[in-house]
Amino acid sequence: MTAGDPPRLRLQAVDVGYTYSGPTPTQALEALSLDVHDSEFLAVLGPVGCGKTTLLRIFAGFLRPAAGSVRCDGSIVEGPGRERGYVLQEDAIFPWMTVRENVEFGLLARGVDPAARGAVSSELIRLIGLSRFEEAYPKELSAGMAKMVEVARVLATDPAILLLDEPFGALDAQTRARMQDELARLWERRRKTVLFVTHDVEEALYLADRIAVLSPRPGRVKADFPVDLPRPRSLEARFSPAFSALKRRIWETLG
Amino acid sequence: MRRVPTQRFVLGFASLLATVLAYTLLSNARLFRPEIVPPAQEIAVAFTELVVGARPPPVTENDIHAGHHVHSSDHVGTLLQQGVTLQDSLAVTAARVLFGLAAGVPLGVLLGVLMGWSRRADDYLHPIYVLLRSVPPLALITYVMLWLGHGEAHRLIPIVYAVAATMVIPAYHGVRDVAATYVVAARSLGARRWLLVRKVVLPAAGPAVLAGLRYAVAIAWMTAVGAEMLMSENGMGNLIVGGGLWASRTQTKADPAVVIVGILALAAAGWAMDALARAATARLTRWVR
Amino acid sequence: MFPMRRNRMMRTLLSVGTLAVVYGIAAEIGRGRLPDRIWLGTHYVENVQLLPPYRSLLEETAFLLESGILPSSIAVSAGRVLLGFVLGGAFGILLGIATGRAARAEYLADPWVTFFRFTPALALLPLFVLWFGYGEGSKVLLIAASVAVVTLLGAHQGVRSVPRVYLEAASALGASPGLAFRKIVLPAALPHIFASLRIGLGLAWVTIVVAELIDARMPSLGYLLTLAGAYPRVPTMVVGIATIGALVLAFDLLALAAHAKATRWMRRTA
Repeated sequence: MTAGDPPRLRLQAVDVGYTYSGPTPTQALEALSLDVHDSEFLAVLGPVGCGKTTLLRIFAGFLRPAAGSVRCDGSIVEGPGRERGYVLQEDAIFPWMTVRENVEFGLLARGVDPAARGAVSSELIRLIGLSRFEEAYPKELSAGMAKMVEVARVLATDPAILLLDEPFGALDAQTRARMQDELARLWERRRKTVLFVTHDVEEALYLADRIAVLSPRPGRVKADFPVDLPRPRSLEARFSPAFSALKRRIWETLG
Repeated sequence: MRRVPTQRFVLGFASLLATVLAYTLLSNARLFRPEIVPPAQEIAVAFTELVVGARPPPVTENDIHAGHHVHSSDHVGTLLQQGVTLQDSLAVTAARVLFGLAAGVPLGVLLGVLMGWSRRADDYLHPIYVLLRSVPPLALITYVMLWLGHGEAHRLIPIVYAVAATMVIPAYHGVRDVAATYVVAARSLGARRWLLVRKVVLPAAGPAVLAGLRYAVAIAWMTAVGAEMLMSENGMGNLIVGGGLWASRTQTKADPAVVIVGILALAAAGWAMDALARAATARLTRWVR
Repeated sequence: MFPMRRNRMMRTLLSVGTLAVVYGIAAEIGRGRLPDRIWLGTHYVENVQLLPPYRSLLEETAFLLESGILPSSIAVSAGRVLLGFVLGGAFGILLGIATGRAARAEYLADPWVTFFRFTPALALLPLFVLWFGYGEGSKVLLIAASVAVVTLLGAHQGVRSVPRVYLEAASALGASPGLAFRKIVLPAALPHIFASLRIGLGLAWVTIVVAELIDARMPSLGYLLTLAGAYPRVPTMVVGIATIGALVLAFDLLALAAHAKATRWMRRTA
């Protein structure tokens, strides 16, 4: 691909609808359309319960849209695929595996030999700063460290696309800021297509190239903001006038 | 999604029906001797006789010579002579089970709550509890009989003992692990002793205790039947073995038809009691997610 | 942490010691005061020591050890328990995993499991005697049956209660169903399986007391208890009960250690 080409389309949702059945059926998504381009960091922002997670689970292949279609690299999504790495909102680090075993799990699933697995995991564990905990069980990790292991576990399989569901939702503000820096650093090294779901405006602004704002339930894309703040972003970026101006515009859309 | 309950029901029903049919066919195919695998109709006859409490007079010449009853006459006949019926036996065992639960559950829960509540009580009582729990209840039966004589007590005490030993652990963990956080919260809100126990500790430990109760019901039935098999002139254990094992050293020749009727009756009773326990649990812990 | 631990050990010694001393005193006070002629419903038995003092317990233990009765009984009974435990445990766990894994298998097994889960396995004794004879087979299989029932339920529940998020995360990482089973389902179900194995071990020892009345003969702990009860000879009874208790405790501690080792990864509540 040369510099002049328009960016390639990686993920595409067209008129997606989804309704949860049950005693009180709830429509989570309605006629939602969204494009994610190659190497783009897209944040999906919306209030709690607007169907963000539903959208991500549809992209990940764990839910089938009731209406519309979802494509990845041009073909219909029919289930989980190795080109899409998915980090769940819940704590899904495997507690019976050490940090290293967790990070290597996806490679094990692909039949990679132990030596190659070891090389990849050592590198990633070092990158997230947990070399000391390589052989520790997750019970020894803090919530932030555990989440970072989950991200590393997905990165180990080197997927083209990362689907992250509020990975830092349960962390305190300071840890969260540190994790955001870590993620930004990782992303700048390995430029992947990222679809990042969050309800935190500042987090979306700090990390993303573009922000899609969802409406309350049933969710649909209400607004789309390009974030053209220079990278790498640092503490100063969070307090820059451009940052604040964008933040204000997004809040106005949300309110 | 919708289809699952239907599929579940159909397959479950089919599996029951298929097993009963297969048993009827196999048992009648005479692959095994009928005194080892009784034909299904013989089980039905034994069931009827044990419920009615009498043996119907032979209808035709054929029936007498068919040999269906030649073997079963021993076990069923002896039971009928003693005036034993299935429903009476079941009632006797159920009464022992209920007594065991009525006495054993409060005892076990009390000990468990005490140990879970106070670190000091836990330190002193836990080792003794572990020692006592290690003794199988049925091993105590003869010793208890020496103390309390040959009556009802030596059959009931092992049941109470087994139930209490079973209930200690869920109550203990319920109070120590589950309730502890809420206790701190309630204390800081000013709740004291009795209010704390009634409104916080018991409800918080409730689900664990009730889950343990279901298991205690099973243990109570097992111990009751075991005690009756060892030494009792009545109840399901006696019905199954045709007299106390302990006295006879198991030289009794049991009729498999009676044993199977007994097992089916025990399963039905156990199932019914568990259904009750589950219903009570659901009602008492409506607030659980 | 450490001072707390020592405190606990002191209290354990204190309480068990008190119990032992109280028994000794009770036995001394009871001597000559407790009734020694007891009506058993059909006949009287004479010279019963309801609370045998330590001296006669020690003498009895020495006799049972020297004559080889106790060691051989322990070997035989523990052997039966272990064999039945292994057979029943393996069968129950495999079946429980099968019914937990495959919805169809569960639907087929469900009515039977629901119906029989509260049926005392002991009730099978007369059937087993008919089917497998008076020999070793009946005793071991009866133990196996009681262990199988609880391990089946434990494995079934263990497999069923694996959190959905782990399965999804594994599947998103590209794990095949086989790998997910080995690396996710089994380890996640392990705590349940171990808990049921411990219960099964306890039940195995309950069962053997009854099972060893099938073609009762020495050496066996079950028959030792029965004989002691028949005479009655209380010191033998007490030593027998204490021996079974000690064995149950030892087996349980071993099971607990294995459990702790296999689930090192679990967060423990102190």
